[in-house]
Amino acid sequence: MAKETERPTAADKGKGKVDDVRELNGERKSTKDEKNAVNGKKDGKKEEPKEEDLSEEDQQLKSELEMLVERLKELDTSLHRPALDAIKTYIKTSTSSMTAVPKPLKFLRPHYDELTVLYDNWLVGPDKDSLADMLSVLGMTYGDEEKLETLKYRLLTKSDELGSWGHEYIRHLALEIGQEYQNRLTEEKDVQDLIDLSLSLVPYFLSHNAEADAVDLLSELEMIECIPRFLDENTYSRVCLYMVSMVNLLTYPEDQQFLRTVHDIYVRYNKLSQAIVIAIRLNDIGLIRSDFNATKDKALKKQMAFLVARQQIWLDLSSEDEDQDLADCLNNTQIPIHFKALAKELNILDPKMPEDIYKTHLESSRGAAGLTNVDSARHNLASAFVNSFANAGFGNDKMMLVEGDKGPWVWKTKDDGMMSTAASLGMLLHRDVEEGLDKIDRFTYAQENQIRAGALLAIGILNSGVRLDSDPALALLGDPENLESKDIPMRVASIMGLGLSYAGTNKDELLEILLPIVEDVSLDMQLSAMAAVSLGLIFVGSSNHQVSEAIANTLMDEERQKQLKDKWTRFMALGLALLYFGRQEEVDVILDILKAVDHPMAKPTSVLASVCAWAGTGTVLKLQELLHICNDYIEEKEETKGDELVQSYAVLGLSLIAMGEDVGQEMILRQFGHLMHYGAGNIRKAVPLAMGLISSSNPQMNVYDTLSRYSHDTDNDVAINAIFAMGLLGAGTNNARLAKLLRQLASYYHRDQNSLFMVRIAQGLLHMGKGTLSVNPFHTDRQVLSRVAAAGLLTVLVSMIDARQFILAEHHYLLYFLITAMHPRFLVTLDENLQPLTVNVRVGQAVDVVGQAGRPKTITGWQTQSTPVLLSYGERAELEDEKYIPLSSILEGLVILRKNPDWEGSA
Amino acid sequence: MGNQQSNISGGQGGDGKDDKSKKKDRPKYEPPPQPTTRIGRRKRRAAGPNAAAKLPTIYPTSRCKLRYLRMQRIHDHLLLEEEYVENQERIRKAKAQANPPPPGAGDLDTLDRNADERSRVDDMRGSPMGVGNLEEMIDDDHAIVSSATGPEYYVSIMSFVDKDLLEPGASILLHHKSVSVVGVLTDDTDPLVSVMKLDKAPTESYADIGGLESQIQEVREAVELPLLHPELYEEMGIKPPKGVILYGGPGTGKTLLAKAVANQTSATFLRIVGSELIQKYLGDGPRLVRQIFQVAAEHSPSIVFIDEIDAIGTKRYESTSGGEREVQRTMLELLNQLDGFDDRGDVKVIMATNKIESLDPALIRPGRIDRKILFENPDQNTKKKIFSLHTSKMSLSSDVDLDEFINQKDELSGADIKAICSEAGLMALRERRMRVQMDDFRAARERVMKTKSESEPQGLYL
Repeated sequence: MAKETERPTAADKGKGKVDDVRELNGERKSTKDEKNAVNGKKDGKKEEPKEEDLSEEDQQLKSELEMLVERLKELDTSLHRPALDAIKTYIKTSTSSMTAVPKPLKFLRPHYDELTVLYDNWLVGPDKDSLADMLSVLGMTYGDEEKLETLKYRLLTKSDELGSWGHEYIRHLALEIGQEYQNRLTEEKDVQDLIDLSLSLVPYFLSHNAEADAVDLLSELEMIECIPRFLDENTYSRVCLYMVSMVNLLTYPEDQQFLRTVHDIYVRYNKLSQAIVIAIRLNDIGLIRSDFNATKDKALKKQMAFLVARQQIWLDLSSEDEDQDLADCLNNTQIPIHFKALAKELNILDPKMPEDIYKTHLESSRGAAGLTNVDSARHNLASAFVNSFANAGFGNDKMMLVEGDKGPWVWKTKDDGMMSTAASLGMLLHRDVEEGLDKIDRFTYAQENQIRAGALLAIGILNSGVRLDSDPALALLGDPENLESKDIPMRVASIMGLGLSYAGTNKDELLEILLPIVEDVSLDMQLSAMAAVSLGLIFVGSSNHQVSEAIANTLMDEERQKQLKDKWTRFMALGLALLYFGRQEEVDVILDILKAVDHPMAKPTSVLASVCAWAGTGTVLKLQELLHICNDYIEEKEETKGDELVQSYAVLGLSLIAMGEDVGQEMILRQFGHLMHYGAGNIRKAVPLAMGLISSSNPQMNVYDTLSRYSHDTDNDVAINAIFAMGLLGAGTNNARLAKLLRQLASYYHRDQNSLFMVRIAQGLLHMGKGTLSVNPFHTDRQVLSRVAAAGLLTVLVSMIDARQFILAEHHYLLYFLITAMHPRFLVTLDENLQPLTVNVRVGQAVDVVGQAGRPKTITGWQTQSTPVLLSYGERAELEDEKYIPLSSILEGLVILRKNPDWEGSA
Repeated sequence: MGNQQSNISGGQGGDGKDDKSKKKDRPKYEPPPQPTTRIGRRKRRAAGPNAAAKLPTIYPTSRCKLRYLRMQRIHDHLLLEEEYVENQERIRKAKAQANPPPPGAGDLDTLDRNADERSRVDDMRGSPMGVGNLEEMIDDDHAIVSSATGPEYYVSIMSFVDKDLLEPGASILLHHKSVSVVGVLTDDTDPLVSVMKLDKAPTESYADIGGLESQIQEVREAVELPLLHPELYEEMGIKPPKGVILYGGPGTGKTLLAKAVANQTSATFLRIVGSELIQKYLGDGPRLVRQIFQVAAEHSPSIVFIDEIDAIGTKRYESTSGGEREVQRTMLELLNQLDGFDDRGDVKVIMATNKIESLDPALIRPGRIDRKILFENPDQNTKKKIFSLHTSKMSLSSDVDLDEFINQKDELSGADIKAICSEAGLMALRERRMRVQMDDFRAARERVMKTKSESEPQGLYL
């Protein structure tokens, strides 16, 4: 409105200038010329044309209004009412273009001050109210911005037909209410009248397609929880959509409030599948359970079970509805079947060999002769990884699961390589527990401890993300023979396996098994740290105090002090941090404790803990803190090792926090450029990893272009991390351009063992699951952050910060933490009996439709395909016709369809 | 990495046998040249000064808190960036002060060295340098260039040339003998186009237009408002109009209105006359059109005003003359720019003509030109306004009564009225009077009406 008031004044000024000139002329002439009388007459005459600038009707309108104002000034109160009504009618009926102020308002302008004086003098009565009503409208155009006159007079009147003054007026009023509310809050005055007024405005907004204004107003007044009572069938979905998209940008208590309000609305309108997504986002088990039990509809329940299972929250069913199907849905045991069905549909059942992925014949063949000095065991190990990534979850390959004369690949690797190679079985058979255990079984009896350790790890990986009542993983890995074996790799594998298979379960039994390992000071740091990470994964985001105490104690334990320089200590810290994943302010307790401790690991731990706690929130203040950490310049000395880690973690934290909110995500990429430019080695090492994390499985051109530049960095660590990040970026997408870049890197680095190993791993990641998987921790229309997935990714990245000590040394099995993030990016439609159903869906790029008028399309550039289909990052699907009704509003993962009773197909 | 050294020798060798025998004393490996992924591609020029620094676009466009919050988020991030960069710069300076360079050497030395290197580069560039066009990048160090004289060359690119700026079609500096690329000329738009950009706003404002209220309103709605308040259209769920055409008889104020728009708007205003687009050489006209719109997009929001569009926009017909075909091709380019494949963004077009019926229908179809605004000869009321506008600054004698002219049924256009006024003033001047009298006006009207009917021999043909 402000703009519009300015414009006419500008125009007026133009006119005013002409007048001035005219007057000047007149004066000059009057002094020069003798014919004063004539002049006077002419001047008088000139006044007339000026008046006549207005057209006839305008002139009439103006005089009419002036007359009415005059009448108001008179003492005869009986005339006031009709006069007021007349003015109001003029204002209301005036139509004009949107570029100018309505004429009546323009003509009333000179009288505004008089009228305000008049108002103060009038006696209380209906007339006074009516005048206030009018003044309020006039105040919109002429009032001083600061004085909030519209609101002032609005509050003075009791009239309640606000809507008749038009949309612009209401909006203006809402704006002033917001300002006044803030003013009063600072002055600690009563705000009840404002609240009452706002509540009368909200229905108007909602009925006029301005749900954004309604939400804005209520959120300004901090009473968003009032909105449900104003909603109806038609408005609630738009309101919810708007509110949900605001959540990411709000600060801590308010965002929770918004989510809870939205949840209430969805429950009220019986959109349970949407409600449960919000409940999952809130991570409120009670709410999830209540949503879950709110319906008796079996199919809907199954659908909700799918949604809950996707987040890997393990609900225990109450005994009354003991239903095998439902349990299957909750336990994710269906996924391998559907995944293989998808593979069959896409014709990718044939296993891929690493060579199919490297495509060495496309690499420029310079120095093919140079391959002679390649460490073949290393090469074979890379192949084992690639094989396991590429064929993940398919349950067949040509290297590990072969019978007969060729023998499994595991014999082509040596020492620690055997462990990782054997563990790749778990990845290949992922989630297919029954069959998987069978196949892994024979490796558990191998002579070599390494292979046995690998087999144990394989069992852990195999069970990751599924739950069976029989708990085979716990039985096998928790077996004292394995868990307390003399052999360190076997123990590590068992611990890690437990962590992977029970990630996110909060299972108390594991507490008993793993806590002693953390607390036992006589043990090697590696074991305790691994146990801490496993506990962190299992109790991710639960802020379980038993675990946190144990880890904190261990970190502070006197007897451990000598071990604290150990490279594994960081995983101890990570384990503690994971406990607070997404807990936001709750983390402050542990931060305070850590602050009090004088300890080399205290600072890195607290940084890790705080980034985990605020992961995915996009909170700018936290980002600022992290940047301050990166700002410090560190002298290169031995004792500052901890501080270097602090900075590296801070960089990872930047992307972990900025994740999930589109604007911040794009902006933080710019920040990485600066970090890369100014940062020291430790920061530069972490930047590529952070970039990989923030757009995992989302190969954006600008990101991989930058990474490919970093992959030639003179600092080899940076280059290696950039290569890994490129793999992460394209994980499971088969992106052809990335593949080409990686092939070029392979020939570029063909003599550098470490880099080449990493290129191979990246290639394996790129073709993960033959292009059907995703490691992006966000799911369900990029709304929900999977804690388990993010925790797994973070663990891998933390180990990548010093890749030479872990992944590139003998601890490459740490890469298997990625399994928690790996999930098929498919859409499978099922009927109510959970049998696959083939329907046509449109798949296209998702469009942000928040706050747009009408019913815009939610996807663009779509193609019609029949399910099951693959969905890339940022893609959405919708059903082609209305023959079926999806039980989940978001078509992603497993979706149950129900026949539409109203469907009258032409079929 | 320390292996870079071997690159130079290894890169040239390439002979397999040689390689093997020398392998022992060589470092571990020889990296091939870096893949050329980033340079030599035509970059899509984004709006604004620096495409790389582009900020994310904000949705929704309607006015709401969500938009505010998202904008604020960008703002916060920019503040963070600023803070970080500032701090780092400070630290860098502090560090530089903490360990001053060895005494004696100091700044002078570096300055010297810089100057030295600069002069060496200048030597290498040679003088004079030729100006050419980059046709194609072959690899990092070689390109095909063409010069104005005709032939194309395969030449090397000097190492000191900023390769990021090289893109096909760029103007480049060539060494006068070896024709190798020694520099890039960044601004490659035709100087003609920059002339069209309006630096000084015309003095005419809306207040100087008599009448034409509805036309003013339509133009503002179609041109100014979408640039100022795009959210209004978004809320309504419609696409704002892309352009308007002003048409009507001569002297009815089409150009005047465009001037007023230019005076009032803060957007970049480009003005062209249709005949300017007709160029001597084949392909120059369309190229000019492209560049105009490119400049407009770069400086968006902007308004392009094409006066006398009938110079190039006439209906297409079979023609044997190469010149006419070229004119038509220029129009085809204009068609493409108005509603072609690429989205033009915040560029609005105003065209003016007095022969709308002769324009090509494709040019003025909705989608290219969404609004056609008719300018008619003024009616009584408007005439009065125009008269009073023009006479307001004249010193009139008391006997002047303009109503006489206003009430006459002459077909007077705005320009005619202006002519009458100034003619009357001239008459008065001839007789050395300080005031314009009624007689002057009458005589002036006679003259104007006479010349008007003379220039338009009515009914002579047809």
